[in-house]
Parts: sequence; structure tokens; C-alpha cells
Amino acid sequence: MMDALLNALPHAFAPSSLLAVLIGTIAGLLVGALPGLTVTTGLAVLIPLTFGMDPLFALGMMAGMYNGGSYGGAIPAILLRVPGTPASVATLMDGYEMTKQGKAAYALQVAVVSGVIGSVLSALALIGLAPLLVKLSLMFGPAEYFWVAILGLATVASLLGDDLLKGLMAAFIGLLIGTMGTDLATGTERYTFGRLEFAEGMDIVVLLTALFAIPPVIQMIETAGHKGMSKELLNLRKQGSVLKDWRRFLPIWMRSSVIGIIIGILPGAGGSMSCYLAYNDAKQRSKDPDSFGKGNPDGVAASECGNGADNAASLIPALSLGIPGSGVAAVILGGLLVHGLRPGPQLFTEHPDVVYGFMLQMLISAVLLYFVGGLAATRIFGQVLRLPHVVLAPLILMFVAIGVYAVNNSTFDLYLLLGIGLIAYVMERLDYPSPPIILGVILGPIAEGQLSLALTISGGHPLALIASPMSMIVVTLTVLILAMPIWGMWKKRSRAAV
Amino acid sequence: MKLPKLLLGAAMAALLAQPALAEYPEKPIELIVAFAPGGGTDVAARSVAMFMEKYLGNGASIAVINKPGAGGELGWTALSQAAPDGYTIGMINPPSFVALTVEGKAKYKLQDFQMIGNIVLDPGILVVGKDSQYQTLDALMAASKAAPGAIVVGTSGAAGSSEHIGILNLNRSAGSSFTPAFFGSTAPVRQALLGGHIPAATMNLSEALPLIRSGDIRLLGVMSLERSTYLPDAPTFKEQGYDLVVTASRGLAAPAGTPPEMVEKLQAALKAAMADPEYVKTAEAAEIPLAYLDGTDYRALLARMESELAETWKVTPWR
Repeated sequence: MMDALLNALPHAFAPSSLLAVLIGTIAGLLVGALPGLTVTTGLAVLIPLTFGMDPLFALGMMAGMYNGGSYGGAIPAILLRVPGTPASVATLMDGYEMTKQGKAAYALQVAVVSGVIGSVLSALALIGLAPLLVKLSLMFGPAEYFWVAILGLATVASLLGDDLLKGLMAAFIGLLIGTMGTDLATGTERYTFGRLEFAEGMDIVVLLTALFAIPPVIQMIETAGHKGMSKELLNLRKQGSVLKDWRRFLPIWMRSSVIGIIIGILPGAGGSMSCYLAYNDAKQRSKDPDSFGKGNPDGVAASECGNGADNAASLIPALSLGIPGSGVAAVILGGLLVHGLRPGPQLFTEHPDVVYGFMLQMLISAVLLYFVGGLAATRIFGQVLRLPHVVLAPLILMFVAIGVYAVNNSTFDLYLLLGIGLIAYVMERLDYPSPPIILGVILGPIAEGQLSLALTISGGHPLALIASPMSMIVVTLTVLILAMPIWGMWKKRSRAAV
Repeated sequence: MKLPKLLLGAAMAALLAQPALAEYPEKPIELIVAFAPGGGTDVAARSVAMFMEKYLGNGASIAVINKPGAGGELGWTALSQAAPDGYTIGMINPPSFVALTVEGKAKYKLQDFQMIGNIVLDPGILVVGKDSQYQTLDALMAASKAAPGAIVVGTSGAAGSSEHIGILNLNRSAGSSFTPAFFGSTAPVRQALLGGHIPAATMNLSEALPLIRSGDIRLLGVMSLERSTYLPDAPTFKEQGYDLVVTASRGLAAPAGTPPEMVEKLQAALKAAMADPEYVKTAEAAEIPLAYLDGTDYRALLARMESELAETWKVTPWR
């Protein structure tokens, strides 16, 4: 592992790679800062465009986009009370209060430093843990992989909170789309509608671009009159130093990072979940919990740190087992596939330069964030908030169309993009979440294929599925994750009854 | 008035046509690859294209166009329907390229193509894990005959892949009873074999070389007529008394009806490219089993594959 890491160092720190990470981080900041555009949108636009580039250059941009975009959401959350990304909602609660109290610059600084600490620790966890998981991966046969995919699906279902039903429906739509294509074992074509384009199933890049890039663009078109924010708000002056106050934030940073990393690793979970959990944790442990939501910098620190810590960690199961830890990780998995890199344990033996290089790039982008996310930079990149939607919407649409066409050189994909994009927009208006769809599309076929393999190998004995200790561990985890929200609901109800 | 004009027109057409042919190619040639960029087929196509450009001369350029989908069928159908003007050629991957015509599923026939030549012949192999109880092919075959269906063989392909058809042929000709398990691609099947989750597996030789050399997996037999130059110690199936030849090929073809002088030029360029020392050196470093066949020999190979596959299809259809 050390060898591979050292070998990847020169690749990751090559000027072209650093440039890619820088471009990605800045682009991520801009995308995250624009309300309505999320990291997933940014990646969905980027991935088809990176097609044909050197893999490490493309991955560097994705790494930067991930870390940059995940922080970028904090800028409008703090300045405008508009969450740039779903994950910045928790940041908004105290961040905007601080702005109202005239402490916007300090709030931004807390956000960026906390975000950097969370993402750096997360990247270190990725570099340390992913190769370990790869070492264990020989213990994962078809039966074990089947259960890991089920675990991923279970976390999707249990972490949707209020919209449980809609989230489940979205996941089932994903599973249904996942059944499209030719069955590996029988050669039977399913839901291909006689089109050769569907013979290998729905193209994942087209699908994720349509799901994540088209609806926000349509929403921008709806608000085409929107002028962007006034320049006065970006007039930030430095107020105090967060680094000098490190004693105050250190315990929050540590706890929030651990929460973010654990949530990130769980396949299927992740995303905005970790910043809520980190925020709640900080609030519960605070001596003055009532000050949360009234401009307490601790709230911003916890939310942004948890948010950043989720990033690289969600790539741990994605890279080492090929099973994504979050919606964004699922999209990055699609990005790897575009470059002919099949995520999974073999990635570490076949393309060590690329995979270790990518993990280092996650670390580099986390550090870079401190510089491009700083006050001076926020003043410059924050200008994007002033871009009118009239300009922005067609620009994004153009990039998306070019990128999607280039992947398969197919006009059919463009019609598909438009059709699914429109459906995705309607679903979004009806409050159906998109990430469960993409997780269903990815995890469903894994579960099905591995189940079929496991049963073929065992000669059709279903008990073979839970024969190994590893299977039992994963099954237990799945049951626990499914039981937790039910237990929580039961507790709430019994309390209400008293 | 009419006649001189016609003559003039004909003369001009002749004048224009003459240099055009002599200077082929005068615009970029599109090379359709039926698989995604970055995969083995794509890399093979791009590297041979680079050297073919050199020997086509006239500043020729070959642009690789990836048309992935439907296990190659999408790209090959596009190739068969392309204008036969010498500016569209494509990479084909028999036997799956041929298997589709045998199934009667494909919209193309072998006659729709003009072969340019073969580039790679990668034989199939049967392997077991290093701790496997089966030391020889005979031992594994005996075990499979003794317990019908009990021995599972992982294949890197799907139903109808060359490995799958190879197992079916072996079961038919030697009376074994291997159950194929479809992993879809090579990496997971290798992983499952290394982890001891399956007793045996088939894949292509080039995909397993490092693991065979390191001793992590044991090779029981190569499905080719002769031993591989990369593993001269590895016995073939034929040597061990089993008549089984399974080879994955990669070659170039043009749509039928492409002007013969253009095809000849392409064939000559492929032949020269594959004899280029620099190309041979790169291919050997990457351990790619190069095997040049000219257009005529390649067509004969494909015709033989087609008749053998048709035979298997009659007895044990693979889908």
C-alpha cells in the first residue's frame, strides 16, 4: 500500500493534476454557491465533458468539484439565507443569524476552516481505510456482495426521514430502471423496447445527467427574471481569526469529523445527513444549546465540518467494493466507468496510480479549499451569485448536451436526456428525491447479479447466502440499520402516549 | 452542343476522380470501435490506428469513434450500414461478432463486411485457484463427470460469450458437466477465483498472465492449437486429448462494397503497421498476443467459426 501511495505521489502532484484539482475546486465552489445547483449537478455536467481526457486529470476535477461544491453551498446560506446545496441547510441556521449580527466574514471563515478540517480528515480516512477494505475484499464472494448491496439499499430507505414513502418510491423506480437490459445468465432482453441502445440497460451517464442537471436548469428558466444578488453583500472585511480560536472549535471539529466519516462509509447513506447529525450532536453537547440557531459559530462549525467529513469517506466503499456510499459517490462511480475504470478491489491492483492518485487529489482539493474558499476568494467567486439566470441556464444546457452526445456518439442519448430530464423535473416538483433513484439503478443490478451467481455456485441452496461470517456481519448491520428508525418511531409514540 | 458538354463533363470527372483515388485518404478515416473508450478493444484500436496512419501516408489520419452498446452489436451494425467509401472502417471482435449472426439476432451478415485483417488472437484458458485440489485438467474433468452439474466454472463473459460457448462445446464433446456462472467481466471472476468462491474459471490468456506467473492461479489448459509464446510451458487442451479451440480475435473490417483499391491500401497499411518494430515492441511489453492474418485468411477463420458455432447452436443454444 505504501509503495502504491508513493508511486502515485508524483502523478497526483504533477502540475496538470494540481491544475485539474484547482479548476475543479473553483468550479465546485461556483456550482455549490449557486442555489439550485448541487455537487451532483456539477458532477453530472462535468463527467460527460471529461470524457476523452487523461483519467487522472478528469478525476482531479471531480475530486475538486466534490470538496469545493460541498463547501460552496455555505456562501449563499450564510449571506443570503438561501442554502446553496441541501447540505448547507444546517449551516444556514446559525450562519445567517451571524450575518444579521454583522459577523458574516467570521461566519464564512468558520465555515471554510471547519469544512477544510472535515474534508482533510475524511481524505486521510479514505487513503487509510480503502486499501484495508480491499485486503478484506477476497472474503467477499457473490453472497457477501449481495448483502452489501442490500445494506446499501436499506440505508437509502431508512435515512430519508419525513419523505419515507416518496424516497422509497424513488428507490423502487431506480430498481425498476436497473432491471433494463440483457440478462447476463440467460441472454433475455428486458425492457429494451427493441432498441439496441437499451440492450446493456439504461446508460448511467445519460441517466444521472438527466436526473441532476436538467431539473435545476428548468427551474432557472422559470426564474429567468432573477437578477442575482447585489454587490454590497459581498463587501466582506476580515473579522478575527478562526485559527486563533482553535481551542473553542477543536472538540466540535473532532466529533463532527468522526460523525461525517462514519455516515460517509455506510453504503447508501451520506449526503446532507451527516451535517444534521453533526449539528445536533454539537447542540446536545453544548453548555448553551439555546444559543444554537441564534448565531452560534459552533453550529456553523459542526455543520460544515460534518459536511466536509462525509465527502471522501463516502468513496471508501465506492472505490474498494464498487458500492457507492452516497448519491454523489454513485455519480463519481459513473465517472470512473466513463474512463473504463471499473470500481472494486481490482481497481487497486490494475490501476494503482489512478486510484491512489485520485485519493491524494481528494486530499489536495481539501487543502486547496482553504485558499480558494478564503475571504478574498469568496469576494471574487461570490460574483457568480450575481449572474442572471438568463445567461446561466442556456450555458449549462449547452455543456450538458455536448457532453452527453460525446460519450456514446449517439443522438438517441440526447432525446433520452431530454425525456428523462422532463420527467425528473416533474418528479422534483412533486418532491421525489433523485439520489435514491440513482442508487437503485446501481445497487439493484449488483444485488440481482450477485444473488444469481451465489445461487448458481451453491447449486440453488438459499442457506449458502448466510453461510460465511462476513455475510452474517453484513446481514446484522442491515437489520440494525432498518430497525433503528422503527425503534425511534416506537419510542416517540410511547412517549406521546404517556 | 450536348455531346461536347457531356464529353467535357466526363473528362473533368475523370480528371477529378483520378487524383482522388491516387491520394486516398484525402480526409480523416473513421474507425468505429464497438466498445467504450479505455477498454482493451479501444486501446488496441487506437494503438494500431496510430501506426496505420504512418503507413497510409498522405498525412492520413484515423479517428476512433466509440459506439458502445449491446455487447458490440450497436457498433457493428453501424459499420455494416456505413457508406462503403473507404472512410469508415471498424474493429470487430469475433467470436461474439459471429455468434450474433448465428443466433439470427443481428441485423448484419458476414457478407456485409470486407475483411482488412486480424490483429490479435487471444486463446481461452481454464484456470483453478492455487490451493485447488485439482492439479490437472484430467482430474477436473473426471470430477465434473462424477458429479453432474456440481462443478461451477466462472466465466468473464455473459451468455453467448466465447468462454460460455467453449464450456458448452467441452461439455458436448468430452461429456463433462460444468455449470457456467456469469460474472460479466474479467475482474470480478478473477477476484472470486482468488477468494476461493468458485472452483474454476475461464478467461482469456492475456487477462491472467500476471496471476499465472505469480502462482496465484493454476492454468490447466490453453484452448488453442499451439502453445502460447508468452507461456511456453502451458499445455493446450489438444495435447491433453480434448478437442477444444476457443480464441477471441480482434480485427479490422470495412463495409462490403468498399472500392478494392482502397481496401488494398488499408490492408497494406495494417500489414506494415503490424510489422513495425516499434509497434511489436509496445505490444510485447503489454503482452498482447499479436497474430496478423490477411483479409483472405481472416475471412476463412470467421467462416470456420460461423459453421462451428452453428453446430453448437443446434445442439445447445446459449440463450
